[in-house]
Parts: sequence; C-alpha cells; structure tokens
Amino acid sequence: MTVFTCKESFEAMMTCIYEAWHSKLGHENIRLQLEPVEQEELFCDYVSVQADAGKARKVTDAICRKISGEAYRQVFLAAMSFQEERLDAVYRFLVLGFSVGRRLTDMLFRPEVAWILELSRKSANEASYFREFTRFSLAGSVYVAHIEPKCNVTAISAAHFADRMPSEYWILIDDNRMIAAVHPKDRPFYMTELSREEFAALQRTEERQDGYTELWREFFRSITIDARKNEKCQRGHMPLWYRRHAVEFQ
Amino acid sequence: MEIVSELSLQEKLHILADAAKYDVACTSSGVDRKGKQGYLGNSAAAGICHSFSSDGRCISLLKILFTNHCEYDCKYCQNRASNDVARAAFTPREVCELTIEFYKRNYIEGLFLSSGVWKNPAYTMERICETLFLLRGEYRFNGYIHVKAIPGAPDDLLAAAGYLADRMSVNLELPTEEGMRRLTPNKNHRMILQPMRKTAQTIAEHRLAIGKDALLERSAGSRYLADSIFSGRQIETRGSAQRTEPGGPGTAALGMSDAGTAGLATISSGMKKRAAFHEMDMPADGVYGLPAALRRRDLHRPFVPAGQSTQMIIGATPETDYHLLKTTQHLYQDYDLKRVFFSAYVPLNEDAALPSPDTPVPLLREHRLYQADWLLRFYGFRADELLSEERPNFHEQLDPKCDWALRHLELFPVEVNRADYAMILRVPGVGPKSAMRIVQARRHGTLDFEHLKKMGVVLKRAHYFITCSGKMMYRTPVEEGYITRQLIGMDERQNWQIAHRDGGKYRQMSLFADFGIHT
Repeated sequence: MTVFTCKESFEAMMTCIYEAWHSKLGHENIRLQLEPVEQEELFCDYVSVQADAGKARKVTDAICRKISGEAYRQVFLAAMSFQEERLDAVYRFLVLGFSVGRRLTDMLFRPEVAWILELSRKSANEASYFREFTRFSLAGSVYVAHIEPKCNVTAISAAHFADRMPSEYWILIDDNRMIAAVHPKDRPFYMTELSREEFAALQRTEERQDGYTELWREFFRSITIDARKNEKCQRGHMPLWYRRHAVEFQ
Repeated sequence: MEIVSELSLQEKLHILADAAKYDVACTSSGVDRKGKQGYLGNSAAAGICHSFSSDGRCISLLKILFTNHCEYDCKYCQNRASNDVARAAFTPREVCELTIEFYKRNYIEGLFLSSGVWKNPAYTMERICETLFLLRGEYRFNGYIHVKAIPGAPDDLLAAAGYLADRMSVNLELPTEEGMRRLTPNKNHRMILQPMRKTAQTIAEHRLAIGKDALLERSAGSRYLADSIFSGRQIETRGSAQRTEPGGPGTAALGMSDAGTAGLATISSGMKKRAAFHEMDMPADGVYGLPAALRRRDLHRPFVPAGQSTQMIIGATPETDYHLLKTTQHLYQDYDLKRVFFSAYVPLNEDAALPSPDTPVPLLREHRLYQADWLLRFYGFRADELLSEERPNFHEQLDPKCDWALRHLELFPVEVNRADYAMILRVPGVGPKSAMRIVQARRHGTLDFEHLKKMGVVLKRAHYFITCSGKMMYRTPVEEGYITRQLIGMDERQNWQIAHRDGGKYRQMSLFADFGIHT
C-alpha cells in the first residue's frame, strides 16, 4: 500500500490527487491522507506531495470538463470540511466520476457519492452559518471579524462579504487556522496566513466596542416577545458554539 | 405619556423595536441582487437570518416602527391611541444611520420599516418614503428593505415606497370583515385589499415589462406539480382580458373583496379607474415635501421585486383554521402574495371585544397553520384537501401532512422507484429536496431504504407509507388506527412543548392529587 500525503490547502489536495492518479499503482493499492500523519503504518510507503499550481489546475479542469461543475462544487466543499478522511473520499468520488461522467452527482446510491454529498453539505451549511453569525467590529477604519469555524469556510464566507461590502476595508479572521481574508476598498479580497505578531495584534479588536454594539444589544433585548419565550428553540437555531463571537450574547 | 422630546437614540430604539415586535414578518427573502461598487449591500433570494431572539424567532431585519404615535384605536394593538404607553419617533437620519452601521457590522440583513398612523396616513407614509429615499440615495444602501404600506395613504406615496423597497406588505390582521368591524374601528377590508390589489398589478406589469412571467416565481419543484394552487393562475394587468369573476372563485364565500372595478373611482377621486401605480405621476414638489427625484417614474429600480406579504392574527376572533387557510390560498392565488404570515394572538389589552387577558397564546395552532402554508406553497396541496367545512380545524397531535396521508391510506404505500414526483412529495417525511434527489437518483439505479436515509428522508415517519422494490421497511400493517397511534406517540413530546412554550409550568406529580389517594 502506498500512501500519498499532502498539506491541507486545496491546491495541495488536488496535486496529491494528480500524483496518486499518475502513479499507476492501481486505485486499490493506494490511499490518500492529509498531513500531519500521526503514526505511520507498517508495510506502507509514504509519499509526501508538494502543492503545484499547474497540476492542481489540470485536476480541477478535468473535473469540470469530464464530470460537471456541480461535481467540482461538491469536491471543493468536501475538501473544506473537517472530516479526516476527506481527501481519500474525494479521490474515490473522482475515480467513479471519471468513469461515469455527468451522472455522477445523481448516483446517490453509491456510497462514494453519498459520502461526498454529506461532506459538502456540512461545509455549505457551516459557510451559511458564518454568513449569518459573523460580527464585524470597527477598528480604526477597518471592520474586523473573528470566526472559529470547524470547516475551512473563511474563503467561502469572504466571497459573500466581498459582494456585500465592496467599498469597505475589512478582514475576516479564522482564529483556529490563523488565516485571514483581507479586503481592501474597491479591490478583490485575498487570503493570507497570519504571523503570530499580526494575529496577536488583531486579536484585541474584539475588545473594542462602540455605541452601535450597545444599540444592537438593546434592539436584541427589545425584540423578544416574553409571552413566547423559548430558549430551547433559540438554541436549536443558533447553537451555543456559534455564539462565541456574536456580541449580542456577551 | 405625551411626546417626550429629549429621548436618547437608545431609548427610542427600545420603544420602537418593542412596539414593532408583534409584526412577524422578518424574512429577507425573495430577491437576488448583487453588490455594487460604491454601494453597501446585496441580497440573497433565500434570505439570511442574523440572530435568534430568546423567543426562538429569527432576527433578519432591523424591525422598527418609525413612530408608535397612532391615531387609530385597533383593539388588540399595544400602540392603540387609547393606550398609555411611552411614545417616540425616529428622524429619517436616525433610521438610516442605524441601518447602515448595523449592516456593516453584519448584525442585520436590512431594514423593516413600519409605523403607527401619525397625524394621518399620508403624513406617515411620506415620512417613510423620505427615510427610504435618503437610505437608498444619500446613504447608498443596496441591501434589503421591507416596508409597510399604511392603509389609506395616497397611491402615489405607496408607489414611491414600492420603487424603493424590496418587499411591501399590508397587514390584513383579521380575515373577516366582521372581525375587523369589531376590532379595528378605523380600518376596513377594502382599505387593505385595494392597495394590495394595486401593488399586485403593478408588480405584474413591471415583471412583464422586463420579460419575466407576470406571476412571481414559486419553488423550483412546483412546475412538476400539476394541481398546486399556483398552476393555471392569471393575474389581471391592464390590457389583459376582462377578469372572469371579481375576486376569483370562492371570494364571496370568504367575505373578501376589494370591491373590484366598481367603487374604486369614488375612493380615489380624480384618479383613473384601477390605475396601476406606475401610471401615476409622482407628486409635484411641495405637495408631500418629497424630493424632486422621486417624481421620476422610473427610479431605475424594479417595483417590489421580492413581492408582497401580509399577516393575520390567530385567535383574536373566532375564525376556524379552514377559513384561515382558505383565505391564505385565496391571497396566494388572487393577489400573488409571496408569503402569508400568522401571528398567534398575545393578549395585551383588556377589552370586552377581545379574548380575556389570560388566554394562552395559541402557539400550536399557529405552528399547524404554518405547516399547512408550506404544504400549499411547496408540496402541491390545496386548502380543501387538508380541511373542510366538516373538519374545520387541524388535528392537535398530528401534523397536517400525516393527517392527510392517514385519511388517504388507499393511495399508500407508494413505490419510491416508480411513483411520480408529486406523489413522492406527499409522503410524510419526504421534502422537496429529498423528493428531487429520489427521482434523479433512481434513473441510474434501484433505491432501497439505506439510500433514502442518506438522501435526507425521515424514515421514522416515511416508512409506514413507502415500499422499495415492493418491500416495506418493517412488517407494518397499513392500517389507520395503528399508524396513527405510532405517529402520535412519536410527536407527543414535541407538540406538548410547542403548546406549552411559555415554559416553567411543569408541575410536581403528587400522589394525593394525581392518584386519588386521600388521607
């Protein structure tokens, strides 16, 4: 058994799929795994793959052309989920996909397809949660938001905010992965990894509050109908772990 | 308390959010609009919630009244003229600043602006238009706006609001003329249905003008549903054929009519009969003090692109669920409303014409009506299938879909590998998404229960009603009494919780009282 390993970025994952495919070792003789590899297994060869933009591009183009745009969407979302075996799941999905073509995403009776649908739904749902529950605070002239998503949804959420606030400076920070989407006024946003110092400096933005934070809390309190109080229902819609950065709950 | 001049913004927000909270519509859905450079905001057709208040309701929009000063004395309303409550009014700029600043912090998806009737409907509507104009213009706000049409306001002001907002609504509040007579001394059905009709016509004409269908888009799956309430409708626009029957079938029975063609001319004196909004010239400068730009007929914005909505109060007057659902269906069909909302009556005032103040809030009834509303809009059901004159109210313990299925066991079990989309959608535990996945997946292979589970079908409900390749999941008799007992047992807890949402009313079980033991 040969195990191909790579880092967590989408580009690295696609390159890894490229290398695994072209190794011609036979699909049943290989496995794909994300780094870091905790414990290597006996009788396995480990091959670490470095990200390569050209190879990754070939894979994504092939998915769009030979399978479908919907399949690519699901692959991307599934790759952003936090399931440990997602890379291998994507590989198995694509092995089937390159043989059946367009019908792939409809074939929900195949475990590979159902599995990717589930993972992609997880990511998509979380991305939409962070569209809703992200809160920006004003630090100087920049709006800064901190999120702690389980799936890697920062870029997906940032695309939404880029459309929404094209003419503002803002930064969306994933506190756990230490990555950020930075959006300069009237320009496209870009993703960046934060250094320890940058992160520490940005960490403090949440302590700043202005008058509007308090006004928002006032609104939040006033809008409740006491005769219908139902905190269980509230928790169902907005689980506690999503509230960590929502100022109205602090 | 009389007009207090020196209220802080926070105090105003407290008073005017508190006064707006009984309006249930807080959705930001119905329109997809991309952001624009130099502007703030976009809009997603699915709508986006931003928080949930501790009553479990979603907070999507900054829902406020412009003012809670009110000339009207609707008996059920907290802001009625005869109530002694703190009153306040925003300035247009305050509303704009709040909206913009909240929006940039991602607290809200847009603005929901309603108002009490201040001085008179025209004056109030004018203040609302002024605010929206400022927000769309100077503040360059491109997000979602839901505006209330104040019944009795002049048509040109309503038109102006329609061009600035995404959704417009007039609250029907009470489904019968009789109920309105008793509870809303200053309003009647015609005052509400007329602007609704005109808005509907103007929306239709605007849609035709840009090459869309006159009627609003409905759920993606509804084109596969031949008998849904949305199939085969027409909406009257100027130039289209004469309407066959004013108000559509069944209107008279519901006691709902916007007086059709007759009578309108007398109301809007000097205006053309049944003129749609866009035919009108905006008022000249000075008449309402509106900026000249508003006079331009085309503000480069579509007219009410997210459609209209309305709400009805449940439980203040004695209508049955059947009546309410028929009214709902009628509003969807004849006025092409996007949504009808239900608001469980919360006793706020004491009045001989109202239910007593200790009436429990009919939350379960509201819940059932919403479930039925979804069945109308997404599942191809009609009001008459769910309820009838003989059975005018929903089952307490069963949701309307299960209830329907149990009364039509002759149609079940359904074979998932062969049945059509419309029938699969009627199986309890299957929704539009999973039904669509089923019909797509089965073209490429045979489905069994394990696959259905993966596709999101709720098998604990569905398995009584379906077969996969001729087999049911368990050996269950397709027998009404048996399935009813099973389903009720499953839902009991949840229904109890909805009906007793007020919480904290658990009671310690007592040997003496509960088991009849006397000492």
